[in-house]
Amino acid sequence: MLSRIADSLYWLNRYMERADGMLRLMKTSYILSFDKVQANSMTWEPALKIFTSLSNEAIEDLKKDNTAALQYLLLDAKNQNSFKVIINRARENARGVQDQITKEVWEQVNQIYHLVNQPGLAKKLAGPEAIVVIDKFINTSDQFCGITDSTMPRGQSWNYMNMGKYTERCLLTAEFTHYFFKEVAFDFKNEQDIIYWRGLLLALSGYELHLKNYSSQDHNYNVVQQLLFDNNFPRSVYYALDRANRYLTDIAASNPVEGSKELKRSFGRLQSSVKYADLEIVEREGLEKYLVTVRKDLNEFSRTLGRTYFSYS
Amino acid sequence: MTGDILFNQYPTSPHIWDEMKAIEGIRQQYNSIYDTVSKLNLNDLEQKHKLASELFMSQGITFTVYSDNEGIERIFPFDIIPRIITGTEWEHIEKGIKQRLTALNLFLKDIYNDQQIIKDGIIPAELIASCPHFTREVFGIQVPYDIYVHIAGIDLIRGEDGTFYILEDNLRTPSGVSYMLENREVTKRIFPNLLSESNVRMINNYPLLLHDNLNAFAPKQIANPTVVLLTPGMYNSAYFEHTFMARQMGIQLVEGRDLLVDNHKVYMKTTAGLRQVDVIYRRIDDEFLDPLVFRPDSALGVPGLISAYRKGNVAIVNALGNGVADDKAVYAYVPAMIQYYLNEEIILPNIPTYQMNNVEERTHVFENMHKMVVKETNQSGGYGMVMGNSASDEVIAKAKENILANPRGFIAQPIIQLSTVPCLIDGKLQPRHVDLRPYALCGPSGIQIVAGGLTRVALREGSLVVNSSQGGGSKDTWVIDMPTT
Repeated sequence: MLSRIADSLYWLNRYMERADGMLRLMKTSYILSFDKVQANSMTWEPALKIFTSLSNEAIEDLKKDNTAALQYLLLDAKNQNSFKVIINRARENARGVQDQITKEVWEQVNQIYHLVNQPGLAKKLAGPEAIVVIDKFINTSDQFCGITDSTMPRGQSWNYMNMGKYTERCLLTAEFTHYFFKEVAFDFKNEQDIIYWRGLLLALSGYELHLKNYSSQDHNYNVVQQLLFDNNFPRSVYYALDRANRYLTDIAASNPVEGSKELKRSFGRLQSSVKYADLEIVEREGLEKYLVTVRKDLNEFSRTLGRTYFSYS
Repeated sequence: MTGDILFNQYPTSPHIWDEMKAIEGIRQQYNSIYDTVSKLNLNDLEQKHKLASELFMSQGITFTVYSDNEGIERIFPFDIIPRIITGTEWEHIEKGIKQRLTALNLFLKDIYNDQQIIKDGIIPAELIASCPHFTREVFGIQVPYDIYVHIAGIDLIRGEDGTFYILEDNLRTPSGVSYMLENREVTKRIFPNLLSESNVRMINNYPLLLHDNLNAFAPKQIANPTVVLLTPGMYNSAYFEHTFMARQMGIQLVEGRDLLVDNHKVYMKTTAGLRQVDVIYRRIDDEFLDPLVFRPDSALGVPGLISAYRKGNVAIVNALGNGVADDKAVYAYVPAMIQYYLNEEIILPNIPTYQMNNVEERTHVFENMHKMVVKETNQSGGYGMVMGNSASDEVIAKAKENILANPRGFIAQPIIQLSTVPCLIDGKLQPRHVDLRPYALCGPSGIQIVAGGLTRVALREGSLVVNSSQGGGSKDTWVIDMPTT
């Protein structure tokens, strides 16, 4: 496979996964902003911190205004991480690899692109239709996953696509967790009720699973346990790294170039820091430090992956 | 309003050949369309039109117009009523194109090797020497099977008595074939029954034919040569076509930056290291292909590519230097080439062409400017064209000035009223001028032409310019075998 193609496939899926995570966080933020309990605390803050590079003052202003926050996150071209910009980038990548993805996948990306570029969208977001719009986007994003899964042949393209998807997913989960725990100073003992954690769990589609699995009142512990270590929860850090490892193994086996062994080893170190950790270790080390290290190592790994397989210019 | 009214209101003119309607009534080959469309009401037709546009949009068959830093996606206009050519007409066209291409291939071999045609005084040496696309850098390079024009898009038009003429030869990187194929796919959705009843010849084997040829051009006799399609990248207006063709043939779509040349061999950079490339179907113009030989500022090409080509380590499709054969001034000599190389009379006639460096012909043209179209000899795509019947005095004066400054750079031809076909415009069937571009493939086993081609329509009323860059659209083109009566 051409290095350029592998690069684009990897980023196509990173962007699509980022867009997906963003939509879910936005939907929760939007819905929770109507709840009185949440109104004066932090509804929009994590989303604005994660998906914009605004100053703290600007975030303070924006988070009071539902429509403005939504429009800035979804559509503003000035925001380099807005949904629209992310989708445009995803489509650029898809366009460059049109002959390597199935027609169905291309058409789905193209459809989302036209949806986010339709005239009058900003106006819809200001009215009662906002939630309908977000739901529609989440739906098309789900379709993208389904269509990719049911039409893409398993092989090189598939491996790079999934490598991108699970790398991004792991980063998002770690980042979402980070910002929600920041509010409680990363303190396991600073107990919050489930209403507080609902925002985070809903944004990661893990709320129902949480209710089913955890009956104790140690919510802070339970949430970390689920989001970092639950191997059945598809958005946990553990799960995402486990999947990424599978695809990396396939990639390294079919492309035995210089550096692929080192790459495997560095990923192995990263993965074992999650696979063989538990709450006790995390609490001892400090949750903040732990989350930051995981993200830093994964970003570093992603750069090495690029140098090893994508260097074409 | 129902369809038959649409047909009754359809105007005809004695000075223009309409492909559907003669003065006496609907031509036989259009009967099935007449029957189907008559039964539909206008609303159905407009629904079909809308469906067609949506199909193009959702598949991303679009080009991007940039304004205010935002890209706007547009589709190339498509008209739903097919254009029909009878089997008999087609046999004639096919024969004519095969003859012409055979001669043009011989001409290219000759002009880049022995130049007998110049020595024998058939074509003046200064005409060739002054052609900007005569490429000295490829002189003497041997190409597989002596084929230079692997893919040709020769444009035909129909005069007022229905005669087919050759308008121009596109022998470099003719585009539009994806529209020919996609137009048919769209027609299958909007007129499924009509298509199956009408006995239309198929076209969708084009990518397979091309792929077989590309494999055959590989310099080494190996079972699975590596064939790639070289594109300038996603910002090129024909990018959709490049991805479409790569996908249809199952070959890699590469950009210049994916390739490198080492020791006169071409490689592509893959995740598993370098892999040698045997055949390049390039959609990049000659002058951008190799910055070491042509434009040094080109970032689209591959440094060293021509050295690999000269050594015979890679085949390039179409060959380099073909521009000398589709130059608009050289065009006038194609009948003589056919006579010289094949000892045959030309089957599909040229349009009379006046050379502007011939004083007598130039004077004649200047006196009859309003009946003439002036074209730049090395331009295509409808650029640099002045239509004498509609241009202002100012434009005509400017054109004359330009011609005098560089007579070799221009030719003139009498304006021919292109034939018309019905188009659905503003709720009416209206006649619009069309041309026809069949796509011919030259391979080791001969020349193959899929039945039909791309029909381009000038959508503005009365306009004779069909180029997509100048407000043109396209139609599905059917070759129908008529029942013998």
